[in-house]
Amino acid sequence: MSDSESHIVSSFDRDLEALQAHLLRMGGLVEAALVNAAKALEAQDLPAADSVIIGDKAVDALEEFIQTEAASLIARRAPTASDLRLVLAVMRAAHSLERVGDYAKNVAKRTRVIGRSAPVDGHAGTIRRMSVMVAKMLEDAQLALVRKDASLAAAVRARDVEIDQMYNTLFRSLFTYMMESAGSIGPSMHLHFIAKNIERAGDHATTIAEQAIYLATGSRPSEERVKGDSTSATA
Amino acid sequence: MNDMTHKGLGLATQTAKISASGVQVHYGTNHALKDVDVTILDRTVTAFIGPSGCGKSTFLRCLNRMNDTVASCRVSGQILLEGEDIYDRRVDPVQLRAKVGMVFQKPNPFPKSIYDNVAYGPKIHGMTRNKAELDAIVEASLRKAALWGEVKDRLDATGTGLSGGQQQRLCIARAIATSPEVLLMDEPCSALDPIATAQVEELIDELRHQFSVVIVTHSMQQAARVSQKTAFFHLGNLVEFGETGDIFTNPKDPRTEAYITGRIG
Repeated sequence: MSDSESHIVSSFDRDLEALQAHLLRMGGLVEAALVNAAKALEAQDLPAADSVIIGDKAVDALEEFIQTEAASLIARRAPTASDLRLVLAVMRAAHSLERVGDYAKNVAKRTRVIGRSAPVDGHAGTIRRMSVMVAKMLEDAQLALVRKDASLAAAVRARDVEIDQMYNTLFRSLFTYMMESAGSIGPSMHLHFIAKNIERAGDHATTIAEQAIYLATGSRPSEERVKGDSTSATA
Repeated sequence: MNDMTHKGLGLATQTAKISASGVQVHYGTNHALKDVDVTILDRTVTAFIGPSGCGKSTFLRCLNRMNDTVASCRVSGQILLEGEDIYDRRVDPVQLRAKVGMVFQKPNPFPKSIYDNVAYGPKIHGMTRNKAELDAIVEASLRKAALWGEVKDRLDATGTGLSGGQQQRLCIARAIATSPEVLLMDEPCSALDPIATAQVEELIDELRHQFSVVIVTHSMQQAARVSQKTAFFHLGNLVEFGETGDIFTNPKDPRTEAYITGRIG
């Protein structure tokens, strides 16, 4: 297949490789930010939460850089076919990663105000495990993209249902806390938004996986993804 | 120009202008074109792309029997224009070329006046009864070729005195003066600067409302800009033929992919 072959113009290959390298670097920062934010919550480590907040500036700068480089590559190289799909997929993936960076930052901000309480002690461990799973999904989605691996991407997509289930469980548990004790409403609301942030990060991992499928096959996955989030139907 | 958002819309209702099947071309012992099947739709721009020597110009020249002038050239298979075999013995190639006009890579106006360049075809085909009718055809053709405004005050000036881009539009006016059904263009912009190229591309987009246009081009960006259908030729084979938007975003054949992304020459 031509994907393994080089362009006649070798600087075109270097441009495309650089674009993907920047995306992977951005992905690494975002995965770490998400897990570090959840760990900071569990450990009530406020300096660690601060580092996540400050670190988001670097993520935003990388996204800006990737979008500028991608626009420049389109203007200079006029990419077609799989080259074009690669540039488009990287642009969309960078946008998704930037959103995930914002979610991690939001988790860290809430960690700073939430303090220690019974709902925190009861849920922070689950939230950390959920963040680790989402970070792995993000990593695999990016790998699927740079390797043009549609089956790995499909596997990432399938894993999002587990994240949705974890979020459902947290949602119901926090709901119970709030009904039992008005004093727990404050921290429980924050924890719910934290869990929702991480669940949304999982959705972005599936978005990146869908871009990988588009890149590898030329079309977006057609079958409807199984959705595990049932909380919108919960009264 | 590409109508990417309207992909498929309207095309289904468009009729076939030229239907080629099993076309083979030999130059002596060289098998230049191998079993090509393609349908050229009416009122559509079809681009032929591919590396040098791939057979795209050879195939283009089959469509108005320009290959008849090459002694060593043998054409087999069938090419139907509106259902009639253009290689039938009863077909007069000169009459055929009035219906299937051609514009070449280098502008080649006759060393005559602008007026006579355009009037030549209608005159030899006896299309007009008097000077007034001929004047009308010349004006209409120059208007369609987007040249009228620039030359209307100097129709007696020599055609070769125009700029390169104007000369090429004059050649297009000359080609459409005989009211052809199909216009063949063999790299019509390769000798033109970007502004003149854009003017010719704009003209191609206008012409497709009246004619079926087939263009051979080495510029893939030009094929992407001007055509609705694209055919990729490689080593004498028609490798892939489809909607231009599909060919440039998601080609089916690895050879097409490799060529349009710049991986094989």
